[in-house]
Amino acid sequence: MAAAVRARSALATRAGALKSALRQRAAAWARRRHGEDRLPVGLNARRVYILPTRAGMAFSLLLFVMLVAGLNYGNNVALMLTFLLAGFTLIAMHLTHRNLVGLVARGVATVDAFVGEHAMVLVTLESGGKGRRFAIECEMEDSTRVGVTLPESGTSRADLSVELERRGRRRIRRIKLSTAFPFGLFRAWSYLHLDLSVLAWPVPRGRREPPPEASSGGDASSLHRAGDEEWAGLREFRSGDSPRQVAWGAYARGRGLLVKTYQSPAAQHRVFDLASLPGNLEERLEQLAAWVVAAHARGERYGLTLGGVDIAPDNGSEHRRHCLDALALHGEERP
Amino acid sequence: MIGAQARSQIAAAGVFLGAVVLVAVYAPPWTVVIAAACALWRIAVASGRLPAPRPRRGLRFVFGAVTALLVVAVLLSFRTLNGLAAGTALLVLMGALKLLESRGRRDDGIVIGVSLFLLLAAALAGQSLARLPLYLLLIWGACAAMMVVAHPGVELPARAALRLSARTLAMAAPLAVACFLFFPRLGTQFWGLPGGGGAQTGLSDEMSPGAIDKLVADYEPAFRVRFEGAVPPPEERYWRGPVLNSFDGYTWRRDRRVFYRYDQPELLGDAFRYRITMEPTNRRWLFALDMVDASPMLGVALSYDRQLTRMEPVNQVLTYDASSHLRTRAARPLSRAARAMETALPEGPNPRARALARQLRATATDDADFSRVVLDWFVSQKFEYTFEPEPTSIDSVDSVLFDTRRGFCGHFASAYATLMRASGIPARVVTGYLGGEWNPFGHFLIVRQSDAHAWTEIWLDGRGWTRVDPTAVVEPGRLRLGAYSVMSSDSEPLSVAVWRTPFIMALSQYWEGANQWWRENVLDFNLRAQLGFLRTLGFGSPQWSHLGWAFSGLLLLWLLWVTLTLRRSVPRVKPDRIARAWLRATRKLERVAPAREPAEGALSYAQRIAAQHPALAVSVLSIAHRYTRLRFGREPPEQDEIVALEREVGTFLVS
Repeated sequence: MAAAVRARSALATRAGALKSALRQRAAAWARRRHGEDRLPVGLNARRVYILPTRAGMAFSLLLFVMLVAGLNYGNNVALMLTFLLAGFTLIAMHLTHRNLVGLVARGVATVDAFVGEHAMVLVTLESGGKGRRFAIECEMEDSTRVGVTLPESGTSRADLSVELERRGRRRIRRIKLSTAFPFGLFRAWSYLHLDLSVLAWPVPRGRREPPPEASSGGDASSLHRAGDEEWAGLREFRSGDSPRQVAWGAYARGRGLLVKTYQSPAAQHRVFDLASLPGNLEERLEQLAAWVVAAHARGERYGLTLGGVDIAPDNGSEHRRHCLDALALHGEERP
Repeated sequence: MIGAQARSQIAAAGVFLGAVVLVAVYAPPWTVVIAAACALWRIAVASGRLPAPRPRRGLRFVFGAVTALLVVAVLLSFRTLNGLAAGTALLVLMGALKLLESRGRRDDGIVIGVSLFLLLAAALAGQSLARLPLYLLLIWGACAAMMVVAHPGVELPARAALRLSARTLAMAAPLAVACFLFFPRLGTQFWGLPGGGGAQTGLSDEMSPGAIDKLVADYEPAFRVRFEGAVPPPEERYWRGPVLNSFDGYTWRRDRRVFYRYDQPELLGDAFRYRITMEPTNRRWLFALDMVDASPMLGVALSYDRQLTRMEPVNQVLTYDASSHLRTRAARPLSRAARAMETALPEGPNPRARALARQLRATATDDADFSRVVLDWFVSQKFEYTFEPEPTSIDSVDSVLFDTRRGFCGHFASAYATLMRASGIPARVVTGYLGGEWNPFGHFLIVRQSDAHAWTEIWLDGRGWTRVDPTAVVEPGRLRLGAYSVMSSDSEPLSVAVWRTPFIMALSQYWEGANQWWRENVLDFNLRAQLGFLRTLGFGSPQWSHLGWAFSGLLLLWLLWVTLTLRRSVPRVKPDRIARAWLRATRKLERVAPAREPAEGALSYAQRIAAQHPALAVSVLSIAHRYTRLRFGREPPEQDEIVALEREVGTFLVS
């Protein structure tokens, strides 16, 4: 008895594995077929797939039984009802398909979060044609399925959330848009393949005192040269930097991409240094995150030194984000 | 406010209730009551009128026990779980139980599936025109319920679901018609309809005194006749059914063990051709105008006594074409064995009748004359024709002729045949129907159970079997008019009287006309009719494969129509400013580097370019980063950031 149950559960596991493997292959095939998408994406018929749902398959089985019974007994009423339902099913397929075709994915925004929290992917959808669209469901791997109704004009937003379990960059390979409207007999779906990822910041955790405030020293600070700012040195190029600030001379001498920075004099700031902390890497990063969050809350200027990556002291939410991103990606890739 | 789950449950329970109503007449009453109660309870609970049951431990066990109990109950009441009636009862109960334990949308979907199976059962059991609207209504409801169950949110009111379902079904109707006309039917049945469902109705193959009287109150149609050409006069409309040739003094029976050779008689006069649409009787014989020329169809035998017998009981509406001649003449004399069989009469019963026969036989010159003498005697006795005769004694013939002196057709036929046999003339009782009501709208004759009749046939040398109807001399009006018309109206059964009021009669004749059209053109549209239809469309020698071609062609046409009707124009999505700027950048880069791979993300593309062309690295990385941040960053993108991207791309030089 127990052995039988075990065997059955093993079989179920294998069937599940097979199913998920098949699903992955299909997804990979669709990825190769469509390539990377560029927003906004209009769903044309070429990229909308459709298959019967479980209910749809049960329904076609019922139709088959009705057909055989009607044919065998020469019962024309049963046959006529069967034919009517068969036509209904085919039209239902068309209705489901057209509920997705022509839909436009306008924009996708991401909201990063700390490990253990939920990062959000906000998908903005638009009906893109005449009429409303009901029960458009939006999901990505490991996320919940979110249903939205699209108004005739204007947009609706589906807010997908995904739980972050590990620090670092989490790639979102595809977003699946699907619908089983109206009769639930078929499901049409389409993938959005976007170059999309969310960051998992380390949890701000730790009890150490932050390092003391220092007067403006030799460290780099603001990029923009204001009237009263003075030369503060070079730092490595990172995203968002303007080419105008690149130190081309240094580049020509083979020192790599460096950016000229400037600093307003006599500003108080703290510099949080990874190397100054004992313990394992994750705990140290968490401590740094805690200092960043606390300093930001107090409105202080702070900088970050992460073995090779230096972030000049600054303040503001953009800076906080920049620091947290660097903490999230430490050891993985350059921010 | 009703929640999503409740809406789904109400929809499923409502459809199930409708399906149960449809099969109510075919399923045992107790199952129908249980099912209706479950459905109403579920609706009441879901709409908040009754408190929801609290989940308790052991409920599942009780549930399983109740399920087993109900299955056993069905098994006991039908003695089988096989067959249409038992299957219907089981389905009704299973659907009801599913409603009781409905937990999720999947359960509601199963209930709708059960309802559609019940619809199939109902269609198999009854396909009358009157039920068709009910079937269509149920399908409509089931489709709408499927939508509610699939999307129970409040954004979709039930009315919207009904409207969309109606539209979808209306679009499916042309396909249904095309399929109906051209979907190739099977020529034969692979397996028979499971028996045990229907009760036997109509005439039986034995006749005791009073047997036919019971049919008089039955206004149900027995069969309908459409004539091709001439219609026989009313007094000749004898519809031959079971022929009874064995008499024990009380009951006439058909003795299946004996038979004799009887050659095809000589047919006199003109033939009448007609098509009979017979209601199911669950008995094996067919009816035809007296005397039928030949067996009308395969599987039906024409026996020595000119009775049509089918191998299978008639368990659904049966249509056949036949031709008959009103007069025939035997080709050869009756053999001795046959004569012995057709004159057999038990010695004991009916002594007074046999004495009378001897007495009257002495006054007659020959067999034909004797028949006339006996009929004259019937007239002189002024017997009363009634369909409420007193019960007879075991000597049924003596009892009618000498004691009660009242009787219905069966009594007189029995008495007459007994008198004939007593004096050595071969005689037998023929049961069937006499007359029929002409439907002026549909131009057909409808013969009802209440037209049941019994008459006799005697053998006259040189002429063969000759029909003699003693009822015709007792009550001459019976021939031209129905049984009721010749009786006083207060003796008319109420079940019949209602139908015979003029207004209702006119209405019912209209309705009968429509029904007959339905039966002839829809229910009997079989493979032969399909091929015939193809011929009228111009196919020279229509075949099964032609049907397939016609069907496939129409299916494609319909699909094309549906596709064009439901096509939704896909808008050309214009790239927005962010996308346009990025596109411009990649186009510039195409001059120096291979184009972006379809599966390549913006950032990885930029990194690739940067590695290949260090001179471009900064600009490319910067643009790619800015683009990615604008595209997938926090919402909404800032206007000046978009402008910055555009400016950056604009000033970007690829040399």
